[in-house]
Amino acid sequence: MSSASIVEDRGLRAWWSRSQRKVLPYVFISPFYILFIVFSVGPLIYALYLSLHRWPGSGPMRHVGLGNYTYLAGDPVFLKSLWNTVYYAIGAFLFILPLALLLALLINSTLIRIKSLFRIGFFLPILTSTVAATLIFLMIFNNQFGLINQGLTLLGIPPVKWLDEELVKISVLAVATWRYTGINVLYFLTGLQSIPPDLYEAAQVDGAGAWAQFRYVTIPQLRPIALFVGVVTMIGSFQFFAEPLILANGGPNDASLTIANYLYRMGFTNAKLGYGASIGWVLALIIFGLSFIQLYLFGAFRKED
Amino acid sequence: MDSTLTVRAQRTIAYGFLFFILISMATPFVWMISNTFKEQYEIFQLRPTLIPEEPHLRNYVRLFAEFDFQKHFLNSAFIAVVHTASHLFLASLAGFAFAKYSFPLKDFLFLVLLGSMMVPLYTIFIPLFVLVIRLGLVDSYAGVILPGVAGAFGIFFMKQSMEAVPGELLDSARIDGASEFRIYWQIALPLVRPALAVLAVLAFMTSWNDFVWPLVVLRSRELQTLPVVMAGMQGMYRMEHGVVMAASLLSTLPILLLFLALQKQFLAGLTVGAVKS
Repeated sequence: MSSASIVEDRGLRAWWSRSQRKVLPYVFISPFYILFIVFSVGPLIYALYLSLHRWPGSGPMRHVGLGNYTYLAGDPVFLKSLWNTVYYAIGAFLFILPLALLLALLINSTLIRIKSLFRIGFFLPILTSTVAATLIFLMIFNNQFGLINQGLTLLGIPPVKWLDEELVKISVLAVATWRYTGINVLYFLTGLQSIPPDLYEAAQVDGAGAWAQFRYVTIPQLRPIALFVGVVTMIGSFQFFAEPLILANGGPNDASLTIANYLYRMGFTNAKLGYGASIGWVLALIIFGLSFIQLYLFGAFRKED
Repeated sequence: MDSTLTVRAQRTIAYGFLFFILISMATPFVWMISNTFKEQYEIFQLRPTLIPEEPHLRNYVRLFAEFDFQKHFLNSAFIAVVHTASHLFLASLAGFAFAKYSFPLKDFLFLVLLGSMMVPLYTIFIPLFVLVIRLGLVDSYAGVILPGVAGAFGIFFMKQSMEAVPGELLDSARIDGASEFRIYWQIALPLVRPALAVLAVLAFMTSWNDFVWPLVVLRSRELQTLPVVMAGMQGMYRMEHGVVMAASLLSTLPILLLFLALQKQFLAGLTVGAVKS
């Protein structure tokens, strides 16, 4: 009896020592896939199902087909939030990224010696939470007594209503500029520093001036990092949430509302879960579409070289 | 002579511009710190003061006495530590498997992993919340931590550094009879410590600053995290800016100290995504 169990034990052990290297890798990676299926794939599919229904979060669901989507196409608040989100994205591409590139080029240039002061100084704002950052800017943009208006008053200029309908998007963009410029400076610097110096030397030998070097060496060499920064910025812009919510609660009159803010309002405040889910799917399609376009454009450019 | 002048002029302009931006970026920080020592009326008086006229610590006292700051601070810390530790374990274990074993479907599974990073948070937001309710995890730390604990980015990142661990080292441990888990735990893990530090810093900061997900999952006030409580202070009838700024400053401090202590890991961690492309 006891000897038999020893033999069996040996057999099991031998089997285990032979096959553990085949089995264990799957065990090691399984937590990710289990959590991914439960907390991402499942909800993604469930979101699609929900988006075809009307559901206040409890009780029976009512199938409405594509009703939520057709309603969405004519919903003025959704269209406004879509436009606001596009506005923020354009602002990021036209203002934050060029500023970050300019700062990175300056820091990287031979003109500047104390590089780390600027690199670290520009970077510090991203360490704050979006909540803390936006709360600080509430005091700066206060319609009457904010820091900027205090400064304007001292100069004899009447206070500007930074958080009113006309200017609130600019103010939100200012918060975003403060918080996200530094990280993009860091990305661009990484790209600039990975350009092999002999490319510049070769260009100099060919008689290229500073502008020609920038145009024909720096810009093409920055392409991979620019693609990365572009995709990250686009995805981030379309998921913009906390800054407009805390600075102006999406208002006034929905002037600062983003798609993510509207989704949250529908799903959690108004208990229209099906409608909220359809906003989520439209958002996903926009993000996938724009990512694809960005990748395609950059890939196509590459073939021309 | 002419060209040195131009270089000097260029340098002056470059420094001038950089310092202008640096000062603009520092102003909100300085304003935040200064206002933590002021009464509300002084923050909004006509002539702003950099040095408070009558500096005091009442805002800090009120933060602890009236807003239970210490409790929410500890809530945030607990969630961030548990999230970071579990994320490091799961990511390094999976990264080890992807780097050091060959198994059927490995390439496909890795592609799925990369693809998972494309799922937008807000698309799954509402159904994820419904799921968390159904699982009975609403208003619990498990509900906050579990959905994001096995992030694909961390696995991708750990795989890169696990690949540098020499295979001979693992094989000689196998000959000595070490189990595969022990090989991971006692040989591979210590060798990738620098990468773990980078990932730890990133994971901690992400969790510490997270706002939207804890906002919907945590219902009872005593469980709430700092960003959620701070955002709630904004919605109050009369916002106490001095108290809110004290909260902002104290909530930023841990990350700031972490950054100053581990600057290199921080910067490496935040650019790692860019380098890979």
